Amino acid sequence: MNESSPIVLVVDDEVQIRRFLRAGLELDGFVVQDAETGNDALKSVTLKQPDLVILDLGLPDMDGGDVLERLRSWSTVPLIVLSVRSNEAEKVRLLESGADDYVVKPFGMAELLARAHAAMRRQVRASTGEPIVKAGPLAIDLAARIVTLNGARVILTPKEYKLLQILAQHAGNVVTHQYLLKEVWGSPHVHDTHYLRIFVRKLRQKIEQDPTQPTILLTELGIGYRLANPEAGQPVVN
Amino acid sequence: MTYLWPSHVRAERVWRELRDIGLALLMVAMTTVVAWALIRYFDLRRGSFIYLVPVLLAGWHLGRLPAMVAAVTGVLWSGYFFYAPFYNYFVARPAEILNFALFMAVALVTSHLANSMKRQTELARKRENQMSGLYAFSRRLAAAPTAADIYRAIEEHLATLVQRKVVLFGPGDSGVEVPDVPEPVRTAVASIQRGSTVSTTVEDGNGDIWLVRRVSQRTPDFGEIAIDLGSVGAVSDIRTRVEEALSDAAATLERLDVAHALNEAKMRSETELLREALIGSVSHELRTPLSAILGAATVLRRSPAIEQNERLRSLTGVVRDEAERLNNDIQNLLDATRISRHQIKPQLEWIEPVDIVNSALERRRRRLADHNVALDMDSNLPFIYVDPVLVQQAFVQIVDNAAKYSPGGSTIKVSAKRNGHNVVLSVGDHGGGITVEEQAQLGERFFRGPRLAASTSGSGLGLWIAKAFVGANGGRIHAASPGANQGSTVSILLPFAPEGNQPETAPDE
Repeated sequence: MNESSPIVLVVDDEVQIRRFLRAGLELDGFVVQDAETGNDALKSVTLKQPDLVILDLGLPDMDGGDVLERLRSWSTVPLIVLSVRSNEAEKVRLLESGADDYVVKPFGMAELLARAHAAMRRQVRASTGEPIVKAGPLAIDLAARIVTLNGARVILTPKEYKLLQILAQHAGNVVTHQYLLKEVWGSPHVHDTHYLRIFVRKLRQKIEQDPTQPTILLTELGIGYRLANPEAGQPVVN
Repeated sequence: MTYLWPSHVRAERVWRELRDIGLALLMVAMTTVVAWALIRYFDLRRGSFIYLVPVLLAGWHLGRLPAMVAAVTGVLWSGYFFYAPFYNYFVARPAEILNFALFMAVALVTSHLANSMKRQTELARKRENQMSGLYAFSRRLAAAPTAADIYRAIEEHLATLVQRKVVLFGPGDSGVEVPDVPEPVRTAVASIQRGSTVSTTVEDGNGDIWLVRRVSQRTPDFGEIAIDLGSVGAVSDIRTRVEEALSDAAATLERLDVAHALNEAKMRSETELLREALIGSVSHELRTPLSAILGAATVLRRSPAIEQNERLRSLTGVVRDEAERLNNDIQNLLDATRISRHQIKPQLEWIEPVDIVNSALERRRRRLADHNVALDMDSNLPFIYVDPVLVQQAFVQIVDNAAKYSPGGSTIKVSAKRNGHNVVLSVGDHGGGITVEEQAQLGERFFRGPRLAASTSGSGLGLWIAKAFVGANGGRIHAASPGANQGSTVSILLPFAPEGNQPETAPDE
């Protein structure tokens, strides 16, 4: 990551959207680069080495999904997708092809920033080897494989831990059902969503103060699960 | 093949006649057994009338010829038993000749009566069939929502009338699929549609002759019809019959004002398509500027100059909230379009009911900020197999209504419970309530209660959308209210699978 200010590449063909994103991101301390087309975007990622990419799906020259796939073939830069389509299958497809998270237009700046920072933190964690992920009162030590709630040890089964571990690695960002199922139970079970429902219910009983009003292990309907934003621990307010 | 058809029928008729004569003789034989028994045990000598029984029966049930056969044999046997010289078939005495004449008369009269009665019954039944067919047809016409449906009804009606394979071609834009017919027939139809002729016959290349013509000679409104008349031999006969049936049918179509119904249906579907296309494109065009407005408002709120000025900050809140509301209205329009186009296809999966409620409340967190939300949810509800996104959107509509129609500061009670075979997700408010009259119309498209329509904004789509979404998931919506201004509770009821069919436990090793 850039020493002083992080660089963000905004890829969108609508000038009004680019303008407010620029204002909002600069206010948050980013250095903003623009790209209007998919080809521009691919070039800019190579030349400018951004710390974050915000990618709109409706581009004039190529489908946003194609840009994402081409970019992911050589870059792991944190990437948030802007989508107008509130179509869950589409979102899942984008997440599976490597987007770190998505926001649906129209969206508030705070929501976008929360997703972006979470994705960037994951990148930092991966490079620094920081083992502890926090979400509200919950702390997950990925190195020692220890989970504590308000400092007290929580006993989990191996699969419960594995599930929490994957969510912790993506803390603050959504993880799809398919990904979780594949990682925890293996490829033959990618459609057994009910495994997740059963395990998440058990997990919530162990880590949530009120399992019917979870604040740590959050559901994204039709998509997957999200471990609450590590720092905030509180819902995002625009 | 068709050429052999009449002689084949004739052979069958001869065979049936022979069988009937055999039956008549059998009846006479049985009568003879009875007569013989009467004479043997009771010494009866005046019983020749007994032979009228087989004559009557044969006349009534079997027809003229068997009845006459029965009469002749009957007279001979009665001469044998009842007239001197006994046990002799010789017929000579005046009484016997009178007997013979009487038997013949009975045979002829009975069979004639029976025959004409049978014909009457047949005719009555046929007329009744026709009437009920016509009645069913006119009812189908009245209920047909689109031009294509009307054409299908006409086609079936004509097919039953002419008793042949019938293919109907609607005018080009009627929405009727182009039927699969042999190429020469298609060409003939096209030439009639161009108006060069109104009726023609073509050979389809497989030896069958098709009659192709306008359904009505007078107007092209009812389209063109192609009828397979069969192969060469029988054609002219059938053609006359078919032409007659068709002119009857065309008269019926005109009488029932089918042309008018067709035009109405076409206009309806065109308007509907136009409206939906407009809604679709307008919505998409509005989305982008809305994203910019909402996004910009949230950026403004974060800028230092405004963050410290409470008045300006609340103004940016107004921009943001109204943009969001507009976005919801657009979403409702799009959803309504999807529903009326039958494009709702639930993506079913197992889901924790509580997640649906929480996700809906999360989406409406700001809208509910002025209310006191009281949650009452069971932690151990059965999982349900639904499209969670659709159900959540339905629940959001209900939450919206509660927030809109109940005063700020009041309590909105949200619960998720199990009741019988349903998981029940409800929202209870202390708002305007629902009167009995309103209850009847609740959930209709564009319905808004007149009491509150003036003081609140809305499209009247919300609950209608909610109903459609919940219905698509096999559930239903229930609304209860003690009356006007006494609040209401609106619930989504979703059936869950019984214990045995709940998802199996996931492997934990």
